[in-house]
Amino acid sequence: MRRIAFHPILEIEKPKTIKFFFEGRELEAFEGETIAAALVANGIDVFGQTEHSRPRGFYCAIGKCSSCLMIVDGVSNVRSCITLVKDGMQVERQVGRGEITW
Amino acid sequence: MVKTDFLIIGGGPAGLSAAIETSKRGLKTLIVDEGVELGGQLVKQTHKFFGHEGFYASVRGFEIAKRLISQLNENVTIMNQTTVTGIYEDIITAYDRENDLIVEIEPKYILISVGASERFIPFENNHLPGIYGAGAVQTLMNQFKVLPGKRVLMVGSGNIGLIVSYQLLQAGAQVKAIVEITEKVGGYQVHAAKVKRLGVPILLRHTIVKAIGDEKVEGAVIAQVDEKFNVIPGTERELAVDVICIAVGLVPSIELAQMAGVKIEYIPELGGFVPFRDREMRTNIKNIFVAGDLAGIEEATTAMIEGKIVGVAVARDLTGIDLQEDLEKMQKELVEFRSGPFSDKVRKGLERFFPQSAHSYSKDAQQDLGPTGKLRPIIECFENIPCNPCQTSCPSGAITVPGNINSLPLIDYSKCTGCGICAMKCPGLAIFMVQENHQPGRDLIVLPYEFLPLPEKGQKVIALDREGREVGQAEIVKVVKSSNKTHLVHLSVPAGLAQVVRSFRIPQKSDSIVCRCEEITVEEIERAIDEGYTDYEELRRYLRIGMGPCGGRTCRVITLSILARKTKKSIQEIGCGTFRPPSMPVKFDSIVKGEIDNEK
Ligand SMILES: Cc1cc2nc3c(=O)[nH]c(=O)nc-3n(C[C@H](O)[C@H](O)[C@H](O)COP(=O)(O)OP(=O)(O)OC[C@H]3O[C@@H](n4cnc5c(N)ncnc54)[C@H](O)[C@@H]3O)c2cc1C
Ligand code: SF4
Ligand code: SF4
Repeated sequence: MRRIAFHPILEIEKPKTIKFFFEGRELEAFEGETIAAALVANGIDVFGQTEHSRPRGFYCAIGKCSSCLMIVDGVSNVRSCITLVKDGMQVERQVGRGEITW
Repeated sequence: MVKTDFLIIGGGPAGLSAAIETSKRGLKTLIVDEGVELGGQLVKQTHKFFGHEGFYASVRGFEIAKRLISQLNENVTIMNQTTVTGIYEDIITAYDRENDLIVEIEPKYILISVGASERFIPFENNHLPGIYGAGAVQTLMNQFKVLPGKRVLMVGSGNIGLIVSYQLLQAGAQVKAIVEITEKVGGYQVHAAKVKRLGVPILLRHTIVKAIGDEKVEGAVIAQVDEKFNVIPGTERELAVDVICIAVGLVPSIELAQMAGVKIEYIPELGGFVPFRDREMRTNIKNIFVAGDLAGIEEATTAMIEGKIVGVAVARDLTGIDLQEDLEKMQKELVEFRSGPFSDKVRKGLERFFPQSAHSYSKDAQQDLGPTGKLRPIIECFENIPCNPCQTSCPSGAITVPGNINSLPLIDYSKCTGCGICAMKCPGLAIFMVQENHQPGRDLIVLPYEFLPLPEKGQKVIALDREGREVGQAEIVKVVKSSNKTHLVHLSVPAGLAQVVRSFRIPQKSDSIVCRCEEITVEEIERAIDEGYTDYEELRRYLRIGMGPCGGRTCRVITLSILARKTKKSIQEIGCGTFRPPSMPVKFDSIVKGEIDNEK
């Protein structure tokens, strides 16, 4: 488990848990956290693949580096590091630049 | 279409400070921020800030954010999770992620305070998952309370690298090393001292060569470099780490400013390409201002002052009220802060825009260590940094930071009562209390401590020196808890070590398991008790201790005795908790079969 249970400075609240799906697998997340935080908490570091088949994780966590792009509820190129995870959300790894949706 | 007097793009310390000034003067102010909460970089900073009281010195970053937000009034509208995507001649567009729509904004004045993004460096396999910018690691661990790994290599020894290393240790990770390519630590000496005495090596003239792993980081290769920063062959070595944290600097996020037609100049001292601005933070476009890290990579205090300057200037322009005095006061604050040696670069960079001035500061360090045998503070702050809470917190007026805030602190031992407040307040954790021979053959040392578990009176610990080396055994004499979370731990050490011991380590208990079913250790239970879970039932629910298949047979008594020891209550008083059926794991099938049988 990668969630911090104790902290000398920060209060560790226990937010409501929700369920979401990563590549079809049901996982638990905390309400109010980003998709990226929820995935890392579940031990998932590989968020996708580059066009040249390299595994891709995220780098900046503030929506600037675009390494965290994923397919969320069928929509490609969602910045998972600043998008909140929602109950029932379907999150998938993105390969390359993803499909353009309207 | 949203109309407003003043649009602030980015609600970090700069943007919030501007909003406070315009909203209190009655201007309709709109803050658009793409994050999930306001505060920018502040929300993930758990350390106490430097500076002076007027700008929240000695207050922790995330608390500063709360204090700034609490000063906003009803004239402020906030749009969170919304990214400004374009600045056009007559309109601004923003994408609202929650509602999935583009909003158009028509402001009279604009502040762009979008901050900076993290630099990246080339090395073999630098694409691997597990390689993060330092800010990303901070966001994960301090904002969302998730640790991306257990063993970390930090690349870069600027303030960010040093602070994040310290915060990683606080969150329970190990920092295997900090590598720094130059021959000198980049950040403040007091920040470096904090991690060194905890045993983290800072390797100068070292760099990362390669990340190891196929799918994600499993290790790193580091090596020594020569004067030209070339790797010296044969010095490579491998570290087993699962996270590589890159803290090699920030780059101002100039995209929006540039789109808006703001003149951009290349000034390496300010972080690279930066927007032009004058003394009032106004760009070459009359109604567009910039502030904070976007205007030049600096720190939160100057970001707040710059934000205030913008707020006052905009209020003056839009209301016509004479606010010259307020404006000059803030401009003087900037000069005061930027007078120290760490701001030489920034001043040099800003010279390109307008002339800079600076005050002189004192380099005189405290010479004597005070009267031997008296309980008194030893201040180990030898660098000219803009900071003075030691002076302002001392109730007896014993400490002075003479003249400019960048001067070194001096102490008049005849005025000091030995109260220890300065040690608790100092953001650099650079003040230690000592008393030689507090008992025959023993010296007393008081250390500021920000870790869990807190040690207990009577406990034997391992004393460490300034480099984190073991120098002997020590005994905890007292622990004074503080509401600001910098607790004071009193240690008794063998005589002669008063000026040697600066840290301690609790002997590892991490593998003494209490609850075998759920693998809970003594240390975890002690930490939970320190966090305030002092009731057996609460502990049980929190840690799942005793909730495994054995039903608490092995661990209940041990847990109760730890609780009794920590809370100083008897086991009788605490009670044995509740037992619930079944007393052993039973298959559902058997229960169902039994029910059917019983109904017959
Ligand atoms: C690890 C670390 C330790 C530090 N320690 C200290 C310290 O001890 N003392 C100190 O004084 N300073 C410290 N600093 C520096 C300080 O945090 C920054 O200098 C300061 O936060 C800069 O403020 P800002 O308002 O310019 O930008 P930020 O705080 O970065 O805020 C920018 C805001 O803009 C938003 N934004 C960005 N782009 C857009 C867009 N297109 N649309 C809408 N919103 C957008 C972001 O979401 C963010 O909220 C530290 C920084 C770090 C990373
Ligand atoms: S120990 Fe107390 S009296 Fe002495 S310098 Fe520190 S704050 Fe002042
Ligand atoms: S000793 Fe004083 S000036 Fe130095 S870090 Fe501590 S509070 Fe700041």
